[in-house]
Amino acid sequence: MRRDGGGRNRLLLIILIVTALFMITLDLRGVGLLENARSGTQSVLSPFQRAGNVVLTPFKNFFSDLTHLGRTRTQIEKLRSENAKLKAQLITRKSADAALNQLKTILDLAGTAGYKIVNARVISQGSSQSFSQTITIDAGTKAGVRKYMTVLSEAGLAGVVKEVYSNSALVSLATDRTFKIGIRIAGTQQIGILSGQGTRLASLQLIDNLTNVKVGDILLSRGSLANRPFVPGVPVGYVTAVDNSASSIAQSATVHLYTNFSTLGVVAVVLGAPLMNPGDALVPVKPEPTPIPTVTIFVTPSPTPTE
Amino acid sequence: MTARQVFIALPMFLTMYLFQEAVVNQFRLPGGGFSLFLIFTLVWAILSTPEVAALAGFFGGFLMDFSQSSSGPIGQWTLLMIAASYGVAYFGSGNEGLSGSPLGFTFLTTAAVLLVECAYVLTALLFGLQFGNFDQIAITIFGISTWSLVITPIVLPIFSRLHAITFDTRSKI
Repeated sequence: MRRDGGGRNRLLLIILIVTALFMITLDLRGVGLLENARSGTQSVLSPFQRAGNVVLTPFKNFFSDLTHLGRTRTQIEKLRSENAKLKAQLITRKSADAALNQLKTILDLAGTAGYKIVNARVISQGSSQSFSQTITIDAGTKAGVRKYMTVLSEAGLAGVVKEVYSNSALVSLATDRTFKIGIRIAGTQQIGILSGQGTRLASLQLIDNLTNVKVGDILLSRGSLANRPFVPGVPVGYVTAVDNSASSIAQSATVHLYTNFSTLGVVAVVLGAPLMNPGDALVPVKPEPTPIPTVTIFVTPSPTPTE
Repeated sequence: MTARQVFIALPMFLTMYLFQEAVVNQFRLPGGGFSLFLIFTLVWAILSTPEVAALAGFFGGFLMDFSQSSSGPIGQWTLLMIAASYGVAYFGSGNEGLSGSPLGFTFLTTAAVLLVECAYVLTALLFGLQFGNFDQIAITIFGISTWSLVITPIVLPIFSRLHAITFDTRSKI
């Protein structure tokens, strides 16, 4: 009996392993059935993800605040004095305002360059269990979204559409460690390749050593053939450190990406770009210091009374 | 495992998967966060016989393969989860010190999460996938394992209760 049970267990294990290997083989050979099944799963999940996003938005804001606890200690002290009702209202209002501001800024950005875009809400952040940095958006093939389209945030490049389903799409973020984009430096037109590093800091590798890259240089997307995966002229980030070591063949630099990936709420997928390259039109304007008004007081002594 | 037990377990796995995809994945936690579904499957496996654990691993891995965040080929998670679930069940069933106490249980689950994530990276590299530099992978694996160490004791009573509901049904009937 015991031997029979052991034999049955082994047989079951072998069947399961062979099935798994069979699925891997089918998938690697590009059998459409499995790909369609993955797409179907995403179509089923997207309404739940959308609902989860709506319900959890206040909690997400709470967790976001927690991660910045050290930096905003003073602000938190002030907030403690406010009552619970006002806090709840503020969180809801903040969320709506942030989404509105993001949307407005994205529209401004896309309008300046003449991009044809479709707006989308972020309905899920990808799990890190598979070591990829992704988001799911609520726009899919029905909204005109296709694979390998550029995704914009309010500040610039957010990522690229990796997979697309009927009502949702999976976006690979610029922070993903497999993410690579051809860039040019605004002004000098020097070109290079930017790679995601898992954080908001990305790595830049320049193609040649003829010109120098400087701290503060602004990077824009170089654009791809037929504008996919990248449309030209999208602000990507700015240089924060330059590696000028003599041993390196080409210059490399560290780049701070414009997009704040932890607060992505609304994004835009670029469906089409104008024939004219927008050039440096989208280079972010540096904030101008607000002049401090000075007040000069002239004191005129009152005439002393003469007798 | 009877058909009745399968019909009870199936909705539990699906609900947990849905919860992972619709709720847990909404939060971008430091260190890569955690996979509640992965923990659930492994806990279920430790509580089961190796035969049932392999089936649970197969089904759990199958669902994980269809996750939008899964970047490998379909079947990769299935293969790894069969091996991991069978392994923890086989290892845990003969070792009361590990599977008998909550502390041992937590460490066994965390070790399984750590190993399965390492195995995922290694097999993904064999399939030609890219994950970036070693430091970031190490940080993510460490983060996921640490989160598992924190989360497992919290969810263990619920998961073991669900497991008991499924497998006590037969004796009650």
